[in-house]
Amino acid sequence: MTTLDDLRGEASEVAARGGRLLGRFFSRLPRPHVARPRFVRPRLGTPGQLLLFIAFSVVLGAIAHIVSILAMPALAERNAYARLSELMDSNVLTLLPDPTPQEQTLPMTDPAFISAICLYDLSGAPLKVRVPATADYTSVSFYTSEALAFYALSDQAAGKVIELDLMTSKQKAALPEDEEITAADRLVIESPSREGIVAVRAFVRERGMRELVRRQLEAATCTPSN
Amino acid sequence: MRLLPLAFTLLIATILGLGVTWFSVTHSRGLDSVRVGAWEGWPRSGTAKADPYARAFVARSGELPLELADGLVFLATTDDAGKPLDGRCETRIVGVLPQARLWTLTVTDQDGNLIPNDAGRFGFTSAEVVYRDNGAIDVRLSPRARTGNWLPTGARPRLKVALRLYDAPFSFTSGADAAVLPRITREACL
Repeated sequence: MTTLDDLRGEASEVAARGGRLLGRFFSRLPRPHVARPRFVRPRLGTPGQLLLFIAFSVVLGAIAHIVSILAMPALAERNAYARLSELMDSNVLTLLPDPTPQEQTLPMTDPAFISAICLYDLSGAPLKVRVPATADYTSVSFYTSEALAFYALSDQAAGKVIELDLMTSKQKAALPEDEEITAADRLVIESPSREGIVAVRAFVRERGMRELVRRQLEAATCTPSN
Repeated sequence: MRLLPLAFTLLIATILGLGVTWFSVTHSRGLDSVRVGAWEGWPRSGTAKADPYARAFVARSGELPLELADGLVFLATTDDAGKPLDGRCETRIVGVLPQARLWTLTVTDQDGNLIPNDAGRFGFTSAEVVYRDNGAIDVRLSPRARTGNWLPTGARPRLKVALRLYDAPFSFTSGADAAVLPRITREACL
């Protein structure tokens, strides 16, 4: 809900900014020309015609631009989620191959890290993520299916084992509140979308340690909780 | 007779609007950027508060942006003087890095692909690099082997350098608290 509201808020902000800009643009236009073409048969080439044409194009162009920018996350076909779903099933943590000059699973991946990805689908049950600490810095990041980051946690904040429960707001509301198990030792994270991406990244201090860290990361899991 | 100019206007407007969209998602990673010397970072792109341009960029490029609580990326495609980073030249990255649990420095071509080399070296991490006595780093980007912290550039005409600070205690969300990042200077060209 919150992300949707944020999106809406930002959309109106962008629209307002665009509106202000356009307003400024129009106030500079010579006024008499704008009304004229309604009464005189349009002949291209008169300055009024040209101005009207430019103004129309700019306004409609701005609308097309804003709409396409806002629609891009929903329409993009080769986003991270689509790329990753070609490689793995939902609700299984899969280690990604190391990025090489020839191939990177996702663009701009840090080559000093080993990454594992879990594509989640919460429609059945909440997801349990368990990541034992590796030899060095380890982090777990959560993204919606449109690759919007909404939460991250590193081993320093979590201790030896990172354990998280990921659920939708509905599933969270259905949790029994009075029980003690729901308290301190369970970290519950609310996902704004039903589908998304969990990225586990482990730092490799020196290249010789790659295999060791990779094996340690293989112990990490993500499983539906019932 | 009126329909033709209208259709023409619509066509021009659509081309204009989509053209600007295409340009912005290929040339910008979001509106909310922080500039430190030649480095540019987008701290809010890694949060749920990312602006629409950052969201559009991420969706089109297929990247997973670093969550801000995890780390922060700074990219440089020019040196401090504003000249593009050229892999056929020697470029030095010198300076002290801001406080962070760890950092990595990676060199790629302009499209973000790693550059193949015999040493299999694509970057340095805070654990690998050799520091000067004052704690500063001195990394050399060069097409030919160099002593010290050498990163091979494969003589690519354009380079992109990514500095990633992980678990950093600052937020960088406002320009004011931006720390000082290493300087990038071009030395001799071949």
